Amino acid sequence: MLSAWRQGTPAGRRYVIRTWAFMVPYMLICVSMMVTDAFDDIIGKPAGWVLAAAVSAPIIGQIWATLSLMRESDEFVRALTAKQFIVAAGVAMALATFWGFAETFASAPHIPAWLIYPTFWAVYGLVAPFIRTSN
Amino acid sequence: MKNRLKLLRVERDWTQEQLGQALGVSRQAVNALETEKHDPSLDLAYRIAVLFGRPVEDIFENPHA
Repeated sequence: MLSAWRQGTPAGRRYVIRTWAFMVPYMLICVSMMVTDAFDDIIGKPAGWVLAAAVSAPIIGQIWATLSLMRESDEFVRALTAKQFIVAAGVAMALATFWGFAETFASAPHIPAWLIYPTFWAVYGLVAPFIRTSN
Repeated sequence: MKNRLKLLRVERDWTQEQLGQALGVSRQAVNALETEKHDPSLDLAYRIAVLFGRPVEDIFENPHA
């Protein structure tokens, strides 16, 4: 995200703004779930499904922001973003699959499935600096 | 892909930013082309050729020749 802002292109700056617009609500809900008991009353009730959908919706928005960045950028940025996204998604899926099987076969402790999203972006941040060519 | 893009740009005393604006791409894209980190699409290669008034193969080395 920082590199998109530093690039200084209109598409890159729109991407940063859209990312903040989607991630701030996501983080606010996640943090309030962890540090307060504001949502405890709805756990196990139908409203719990609404909360789950509400906290997941910004993720759809973030994927849209990434696709918009690719659509509005030149061919190099488009190819580079796609390559970084695919590698990060592949590594995150491999990690999640590994841990899922570890839970099944090795009695590994359970990890909530929603961690796949922050894991994906953590991996994206780690791999992106090393993927600098579109070839 | 080996190319003479940087040479042609410097001959005209253009910055990467200026060349990018003329081509409708980012400075990063121009830098990636010059450092062979990106192979241009046919469309972009033709745009570059038109801008410099040269055939594509004068600018980009044909790897299959």
